[in-house]
This record gives sequence, structure tokens and C-alpha cells, in this order.
Amino acid sequence: MLVLLNTALAFPTVVIGLIIYGLLARRGPLGALGLLFTWQAIVVAEVILALPIATALSAAAVQAVDPRVRRTALTLGAGTLRTAWAVAREARFTLAAAVVVAFGRVLSEVGAALIVGGNIRHETRTLTTAITLATSQGNFSLAVGLGLVLLALALTVNVLIQLLQGRGDA
Amino acid sequence: MATLEVAGLRQIYGGRTVLSLETLAVEPGARLALVGPNGAGKSTLLRLLAFLESPAAGTISLEGHPVAGGAARRAARRRVTLVEQRPYLFRGTVAGNVAFGLRAAGLRDPAVEQRVRAALEKLQLQALALRDARQLSEGEIQRVAVARALATEPVALLLDEPASSADRAAQQAMFSALAEEQSRRPLTVVFASHMLEDAYRWADRLLALHQGLPSPVTPENLFRVDLPGGATMQRVAVGPLRIDVVSDRMGPATLAIAPDEIVLSAAPLQSSARNVFRGRIVRLAEHGAEMRVTIDAGIELVAIITRRSFDEMGLAVGGEVYASFKSVAVKVF
Repeated sequence: MLVLLNTALAFPTVVIGLIIYGLLARRGPLGALGLLFTWQAIVVAEVILALPIATALSAAAVQAVDPRVRRTALTLGAGTLRTAWAVAREARFTLAAAVVVAFGRVLSEVGAALIVGGNIRHETRTLTTAITLATSQGNFSLAVGLGLVLLALALTVNVLIQLLQGRGDA
Repeated sequence: MATLEVAGLRQIYGGRTVLSLETLAVEPGARLALVGPNGAGKSTLLRLLAFLESPAAGTISLEGHPVAGGAARRAARRRVTLVEQRPYLFRGTVAGNVAFGLRAAGLRDPAVEQRVRAALEKLQLQALALRDARQLSEGEIQRVAVARALATEPVALLLDEPASSADRAAQQAMFSALAEEQSRRPLTVVFASHMLEDAYRWADRLLALHQGLPSPVTPENLFRVDLPGGATMQRVAVGPLRIDVVSDRMGPATLAIAPDEIVLSAAPLQSSARNVFRGRIVRLAEHGAEMRVTIDAGIELVAIITRRSFDEMGLAVGGEVYASFKSVAVKVF
């Protein structure tokens, strides 16, 4: 299970895009859904990309928590859910890091979005695919501008996560 | 009815039996001390009694009902609480930690706040209520952990080496809080300690464990005696020996002689030690740079000496030695 997960971590995004393209293509097994070249297809692809990273890093975060946390919660009468919550609370910094890393992977992703989305203007053009297109068209200043927007977005989300973790609790 | 009762209990880790205890019953309001060296099975027994792990064989009953299966153990954990040797405090405030078990029990805010305050007061921790739990001293952590455990009003409180990390004052606060609690209700207390002095000062019963088994001999020079009284300097009969002790007590008592207070010599010492006995070495055990020498002097005495002295004196099993110790080295409990 962990090996599969770790392989999924290193999966090239273009390959994921290809597989989903194959599944969603009109003649593919899920073709009837008509999802190919829609923004929903991009969401599906990005979720599949982010899930293994989020899962693997969260598992590592939880495993790294002091075993006394679980025992302490249990001996104080906590049930399964409350105990899990107590463990997650103690691991919240590493769990947040898992979210940040998964978010980073999705944010910077081009290949899958391009293949399953098709880079259709006003429909499935994402910031990264737009940058790719602008660069290949020689519109360098537009590409840089969009890149800055993307960076600002990444920064904002990271700052928000940092704030959510609560300040002063290093 | 016993608060906790054990029958045919066995625990196995990695194919090795780490604990084997046929029977044990701890009555309401009892103070049972588990004593024995590290690795004797004390912590294992406490975790089993806390229903944090399930035994390889045997049963543990809580207030007369055998506890078996996940659901029963979960229910039992609401009534028995373990304070670990190095207690873990959750992130957040001291008050937040003490509230944990109360919230787990389904209590809501005004009640939780009130119980938290009461529990903190019992351990004189009111001033620390809003402090960050991560910024406490070891002694404070210990007290917070005990307050957190007492807040849930368990029928049995289990403590693993409560005195090992805490400073003297923290220990005092903890033991008096437990005594206070016991004067209010029949709280059962079981604690593990490798310090016999603590065990004897506070417990009303003692279970000695050695390599996972109850040990019939009390560890390390403990003797039940009857003090004659009448003077501060007393001569007490221990088996065939007469031991000089300093105590103004009278009647039944326990004598403890720390093994490192006993001096071994080849000939009787001309010294201030009032107790000098001739004996024969019956057992030897090596512990790193120390040797544990058991002498039969009519009663068995254990002395700890350095490996170096042992070699220089040329001691061996069967050899004759003199054991000397001062009367003030004999602790009376």
C-alpha cells in the first residue's frame, strides 16, 4: 500500500493526464459523462495528483506523533474519534505542511491540465497553461505577468494556512 | 468488591513472557506499590490495569466485572486512568489539558470549567491554569498530569514512577493531593516505583516484581520487625541478628538498609559502624561497573560494591566476609 502510494508520488503529471484522457475520451470507459475538455476534468486530474502526496505526507505526520499522545487520550476516556483528533492536533504543523505541498503540486501543474482540459480560452485555460501558451507565442511580458499572479496566489494561500495554525505556537 | 482484580494474567511481547501474575486484588481505597528493578514488568502491569493493552491470557475485572473486548475496555478506561512516567501534555494551556478527559466524558462548559478549577486547586496549580503546557518544569508537568487524571474522577488512579522525574516539592504536593482525595472517596491508587523509600512511605501494600513474576522476597534488605521502643537507639531482632537502629518509634515497622550503605570487608572493621555481621557470599550479580553481592548472615543482606573493590578483595561465592553498616543507615518505616 505504502509502496503504491510512494510510486504515485513520483508519477509524472503528463502520464496521469494521459490516463484520465483515456478514461474520459468519448470512446473511453467514462466517455458517456462528457467530461473531457471541461474544467471538471481538470479538477478530477488534480485531485488524483494531489491525493497521494497529501495521503503519504499525512501518514508520515501521524506516524511521527509521540505514541504517548494516543495512550494519554485513551486513558483519559477518549473514544476513537476524539483520540484521532488529539493525534491530528499534535501533528497539525506537519499536516499543514502536507496540505501546502499538495497544493503546490496542483498549483504548478501544467501537463495534466493541458491534456484533459485542452487549454480552451475562457473554459479550461488555467494560469499555468496560459503561461505556457503565452511563452510559446512569444508574448513574454504576459507570461511573466501571469507568473507573478500565480506566485502571489501561492503566497496568499500559504500565509492563510500559517494563520490558521495559530500564531505564537511555534 | 475489589476495584481491580487479576486472574491468570500473562503478557507476551515478541514471544517473550514479560509478565505472569496469577492473582492480584486491589481493594477500594488501597495504596498498592509495585516495586522492582527496571524491566520487572511494572509498567506492563500498569498498562494492562489501565486497559490500554489486552493481555495474552487471563482476565482483569473492574469492580467485579471481567473486562474483555474493545467496547468493554473503552468503557473501563473511563473509570481507570494512568499517569505515565513521563506524562505527555497536549499542546495548549494547562486548563485545556485538564479539561480533556471531562470533554471526552461529554461534559459541557460551566461544568468543565468548575471541575478543571477544582482539579487544579487539588494540586495547587491554580496559578498555572492559563500557562502554555509546553513551558512547564518536569515537576509541574507531573502535577498537571495528575490533576488531569483526577479531574475525571476515576475509581482507580495508576501512576508509573511518579517520583522519578518530579522534584521533592512536586512529589509532596502530588502525594498529599492523593491522600486528600482518598480521604474524600475510596480512590484506589496503584503506583510503580523503583525507589523503595517512596513505596514504603506511602503505600499500604507492596507487590514486588522480578522479571515479570511476583517476587516472594522483598527486594533489597527490607525486614518486618517489632520495635521494642523506649529509647532512640534501639536494638531490634531480625531473624537471629540484632540490628542497632535509630528511631523513636515502637511496634511493628519495616527496616530498609540501602545496599550501597553496606561495607564489605575481609576482617571485622574497627569503625563507627555499629552493625557488623559475619556472613557467607551466596550470590553474585554483575551490573556494569557494580557488583551486587548477596550475603547470608543469618538473614540475607544485599550489598552493592564496585567491580574494582570486588576484584581487589578476591570475593567469590562461598567466601566469608563481614558486612558493616551504621545504625543511621537503617531506615525505619
